[in-house]
Amino acid sequence: MKIAAIAGSNANHSYNRMLLEFIADQYQDTDEVDVIDIRKVPMFNENYKGKAPEIIADLDQRVNAADAVIIASPEYNHSITSALKSVVEWMSYEVHPLENKPVMIVGASTHEQGSSRSQVQLRDILISPGVNAQVYQGNEFFMSDAANVIDEDGKINDEMTVKFLDKCIDDFKVYARAINKMVADQAAAEDQKEAAKD
Amino acid sequence: MMKILALVGTNANFSYNRLLLKFMKKHFKQMAEIELYEISKLPPFGVDVPLEEQTEVWKLKQKVKAADGVIFSTPEYDHGIPAALKSAVEWLSYHTKVLDRKPVMVVGVSYGRQASARSQVQMRQILISPDCNTNLLPGNEVLIGGATHVFSEDGRLIDPAMRDNLEKCFTNFIEYIQVFQHVDEEEVTMPIKQPSISDAYIKFPTGRLSLKEVQQIFSTIPFEIDLIDSSDNFSWFSDKPNREHVRDVASLNEPVTECHPPKAVPGVMSIINSFRDGKRDVVTRPLWMHGHRSLIQYYALRDVDGHYLGTIEFTGNVEYILNLFENGAWDKGADASTGASKHEDSADTTATPVAETADASTGASESNNEGADEMTTDPDVATDDGADASTGASESGSVDADDEAADATTGASEN
Repeated sequence: MKIAAIAGSNANHSYNRMLLEFIADQYQDTDEVDVIDIRKVPMFNENYKGKAPEIIADLDQRVNAADAVIIASPEYNHSITSALKSVVEWMSYEVHPLENKPVMIVGASTHEQGSSRSQVQLRDILISPGVNAQVYQGNEFFMSDAANVIDEDGKINDEMTVKFLDKCIDDFKVYARAINKMVADQAAAEDQKEAAKD
Repeated sequence: MMKILALVGTNANFSYNRLLLKFMKKHFKQMAEIELYEISKLPPFGVDVPLEEQTEVWKLKQKVKAADGVIFSTPEYDHGIPAALKSAVEWLSYHTKVLDRKPVMVVGVSYGRQASARSQVQMRQILISPDCNTNLLPGNEVLIGGATHVFSEDGRLIDPAMRDNLEKCFTNFIEYIQVFQHVDEEEVTMPIKQPSISDAYIKFPTGRLSLKEVQQIFSTIPFEIDLIDSSDNFSWFSDKPNREHVRDVASLNEPVTECHPPKAVPGVMSIINSFRDGKRDVVTRPLWMHGHRSLIQYYALRDVDGHYLGTIEFTGNVEYILNLFENGAWDKGADASTGASKHEDSADTTATPVAETADASTGASESNNEGADEMTTDPDVATDDGADASTGASESGSVDADDEAADATTGASEN
């Protein structure tokens, strides 16, 4: 499966990016995971109408090309980062690559709560009409104490965590297949209706 | 009058939220002085953004610090607040406490009927998170939907029900701010039986001073003093009237990196570090401030055994001293170095108070002479001294001098 994995931090050192890179590495035999680094995405601004920066087209193309999306969300002030929010705003303005796309949210944090509040908020944002993603609801993956769970080489050194991550991703892939089938069927039905009209 | 800072919650060129704040500024002008702030000036938040690119962030923090209350006006993008607004809040809560217990109010305008309700809920959640920890005005929801219909062409909110609600909520906000301002801290701490000092004397080897005398001496001497303690926190400033650097008690106990413009930080730190390392004991900066000649001197504050205790910044308007010098106040004394000539000097001067002050300042510079090699009262060496000072500045990087100027101008424009 082709998976676009968006790291929701613009910090040079990010456990969320490391988590996605670990996933990409772990599933390289079965899936093609494209880790998207958002550090170079500028702050969203409505004033760009009709002249969005080139990097947005690249983002659009990579998310569009994927069968499913994983977003790793850090938590700043009980909320998602402005850097990630900016990316979502770009993807709900002139291009809408997340529309009907199966999305799973994961998150890592150095604290106890493991980004849980920002994940709740991100769900709410992703189901807003302008984004309209198909957000996967089960298996909440919160990694707390990330500084101790992920080592310097980006390896997760906790067996239980890796096992649970495996389960989350397997379940998500099943969900993504079902959603993509549903969306394709709906599109085909629409086409048929259109054809019948003609 | 109450000072309110109002953040326009979007970076878009046109915004109804900006329109609302402009309307509030006019409408409530008798109740408060509302200043609009454009968040588009800020760089996107990032933990790796270099300090020298944070000048605008620093300016915003100063504005927040000086305000009695802050209004956040938020549109709604995808069920949430705009990324640009979130970014501003991240700046205001990263390695800073400017929002801590600051009274804040949330308002919002949107095109649709929902009137930014969801983003306002989110905004409130963010503002009460531990790193923000604001005193958020509860209730008092200002939800202005149908933006295109409720404003007149000249930007007045014309929907009567919405305007009544806005008036009620803003009045409540002003009262809410006052509630916190009137909390008597002493009253609050009384129940925990905090000890306090009254009528005490500090005994120095050379005599005793009461606390009040200490305070008044610092307010009276014609130089102002700022103290940066040994852990680089701005810990005290003398309460001298008409200070050259206007300081605010809100900046006390902040790291020195926080209370200077980012561009000035490397220069300041290089001075402090050279004092801590024992490389230097004094740095002298003659410069023009507020249209007159001023002298800034940084001294390493050391314990009797040389242990570093902090840095004092000693600043004063030296126009008066220089005028005395230029008018030949010391010309006669230059030949005779005896104490007697000093008395002759004061006898010559007709107005006794002037003579006394002149005497006093000589005394002050004499003691400086003992403490610091760079200082001298000998007029011949005065020019060397100037050169010395500029060398000192160029040692720590030529940017320093500019930074100091930046400090002065920022301070001035801020107040």
